[in-house]
Amino acid sequence: MFTPGSKFFVGLSGLALISAVLYTIFVNPSDIGAYALFGLLISGGLVSGFSFYTRDGDADTEADAVEAAAYAPSPSFWPLVFALGVAVVLLGVATNAIVFVLGIAVLVGAGVEWTIQSWAERATSDAEFNNFVRHRAIGALDYPGLAAAGLGVIAFLFSRIMLAASKGGAAVIFIVVAAAIVVYAFMLSSKPALRGKSVAMVVTAAALLLAVAGVATAISGERPELAEYAEADHYSKEHRECGEEEGKHYDHEANNTVSLRSAVLATVFVENGKIRAQMIGLKKDVDTITVPRSNDTNILFRNLDEEDHRLVANLGTQLVDETGVKEKVGTCTQLTGKNQEQVLTLNIPKPSSDEQVYSFTVPGAEGEIKVVVP
Amino acid sequence: MSHIDSVLTKEKAVDTVTPVKSSRRRIITALAGLSGAAFLSGCATNAPQDTFVPKGPNAQLIDNLNMIVFPIAGAIGVIVLTLATYIYIKFRDKGQAIPAQSHGKPVVEITLTIIPALILTVVGVFTFRTIFDLAETEDTELIINVTGQQWWWEYDYPVQDGISQPIITSGQLVIPAGTKVLLRETSRDVIHSYWIPSLNGKKDAVPGRIHLLRLEADEPGIYAGQCTEFCGLSHANMRMETIALSKDDFAKWVAGQQKTYTSPAAGTLAAEGETTFINQCSRCHQVNGIKDANGKPIISAPDENVYSGAAPNLTHLMSRNTFAGAMFDLVTEECRADVWEAKPEEFGAKYLKGVSEDCLNQKDLRAWLRNAPAMKPMYADPSKLEKTNGKYRGMPNLGLTEDDIDKLVAYLITLK
Repeated sequence: MFTPGSKFFVGLSGLALISAVLYTIFVNPSDIGAYALFGLLISGGLVSGFSFYTRDGDADTEADAVEAAAYAPSPSFWPLVFALGVAVVLLGVATNAIVFVLGIAVLVGAGVEWTIQSWAERATSDAEFNNFVRHRAIGALDYPGLAAAGLGVIAFLFSRIMLAASKGGAAVIFIVVAAAIVVYAFMLSSKPALRGKSVAMVVTAAALLLAVAGVATAISGERPELAEYAEADHYSKEHRECGEEEGKHYDHEANNTVSLRSAVLATVFVENGKIRAQMIGLKKDVDTITVPRSNDTNILFRNLDEEDHRLVANLGTQLVDETGVKEKVGTCTQLTGKNQEQVLTLNIPKPSSDEQVYSFTVPGAEGEIKVVVP
Repeated sequence: MSHIDSVLTKEKAVDTVTPVKSSRRRIITALAGLSGAAFLSGCATNAPQDTFVPKGPNAQLIDNLNMIVFPIAGAIGVIVLTLATYIYIKFRDKGQAIPAQSHGKPVVEITLTIIPALILTVVGVFTFRTIFDLAETEDTELIINVTGQQWWWEYDYPVQDGISQPIITSGQLVIPAGTKVLLRETSRDVIHSYWIPSLNGKKDAVPGRIHLLRLEADEPGIYAGQCTEFCGLSHANMRMETIALSKDDFAKWVAGQQKTYTSPAAGTLAAEGETTFINQCSRCHQVNGIKDANGKPIISAPDENVYSGAAPNLTHLMSRNTFAGAMFDLVTEECRADVWEAKPEEFGAKYLKGVSEDCLNQKDLRAWLRNAPAMKPMYADPSKLEKTNGKYRGMPNLGLTEDDIDKLVAYLITLK
């Protein structure tokens, strides 16, 4: 009665219904996630109906229907896993990227397994041969997949060890492990008699050691200096230094974060210890940049000097409390090296005036670019 | 069959067939009527947004391309439709046997591949050349920031040669004729699209991005436009006009926009209007130079009251001819016609006069002040601002009294 396709979509609709109800109750009924899940429920229900009615589009004549009914696929849990994958993907969209990627992995894995199972069962009239071709096909995918997953686990565990050890210690561990692998591989190739149970024992021991050490170091945490870097949180407002750099930890690869070159209003350069600026559309230097009010505006900073520099936006003052005490408002880019760039995004809600004077400066460089907000 | 039977049978047949024929005839008539209307609309004389009447070099480039592509595309369209119609009629199902089937004819297939490829190559060469010509910005003479917001356009003129202090205005973009002007478009909320058909093609204004659009007008005049990217409730009412002035007149306009603010004389109705403005309007609308009773400059805070963060700057409101996103005229029909229909050499002087008391369109301005959301659909209902954190999209009904409106009109007319 139920075709494989309709079973899948009925399962998908059921999971969407459960997910939508749970999401609506526990997360947010008016959130886009709820709309997406209810949308999936409706579309899944519609496709289930079509799929059921048309028998997966595979048998619209009575003869075909009889023939299709004669083929009874063996029970499979892959449709359920696939539907679970869809639910995890949707959950990932609403929560975070790791869940989303996990869902995609489940979807791809279940889809491949399900497809091959379905294909192999109808490959020939010989069930035994079908079973053989299925394992042969799956094997070609399973082993590389498992190997990749295994390598991922090894890399993760090993990285925990390297991050927990001191800089020097990590180098020593890396050299020792690499040397041990090379030496053991050389021994195996030169003395084939060593192969067999001894290899299994060595590999098992190494895996156990890696697992124990990896888990232990993952729990103990990264080495103190890395923990300090993370704690410093250079991008946070508290940490940001807009003068001469006092901290010792900052992003030396800040250039890599620039991705807004096509949407900048103006470019500020520092060259030969002096600051200058150009506005998009005018091919000459200006000493004043006019920034639209109440709108995100990107300013590109390009350091052409030998020394590291940062661009500082001086954005007037604001009242600290009701006593009339004011503090300076400003923001700045990371330090950037020679020929590197950074973008500063500003949103200035108040027009410039005698009381609110805005400008760009570069600590350690001469000059100032006035900022006018009409 | 008797004659009477025959007649009855025919009547029955007529009864059953007539509705079908009748409805088909109605559809054909309606389609013919629509087609005719569409065809005849091309003959409109009062069509300020006609794309086929270029008034500047950029629009001329597009028109030149159209003159190449349209005949080619039209000829192909006519040929294809004629052939298709011929085939539909000639080979329609009349119960005949299915003719012999073949895989195809390589010569025909190759020919029908090469010919379109050649046509597309020709069209592509001219199109790419036009695209690159339109994207030219190296020789820009004036830059203007254009910011779209639901549902009006703001223009600010950065400090540059000839402009010592930034200028901010809205609704009407003023440019010097015969000058290569570069618009740097962006948006504060959703995607809008800036289009003055007689001066250039359209360009989207996208939040967080700056898109460049070149404008240049051959001679002084008013060039109408319309937001062409659906942007919400009042998209249809988001209009704009570009005003081209001679270079001398543009310099006068710049000087006028940089005039310092002068409060109305004490004791006048306008002075009372200034107080009303400070109390009611200056939360969102900036008038540069206006001061409170203590002599402290008043800085509006549209970022705290308006969802998109800004409201039109009204410092020189009466130097422009429109308000509310260029939806309404600030001048009466007669005065507007006088400016619109002015000869290029007289246009600047007439436009620069601004709005006089005689020409002020009091009816629409008062109606706007009385209840703005009734004049232009906006999300300005104070009871429905949950999603915008209490901020308005558009101007709300301020509940002004007729007395307040009298004072405000008397004050606004002074903002030139």
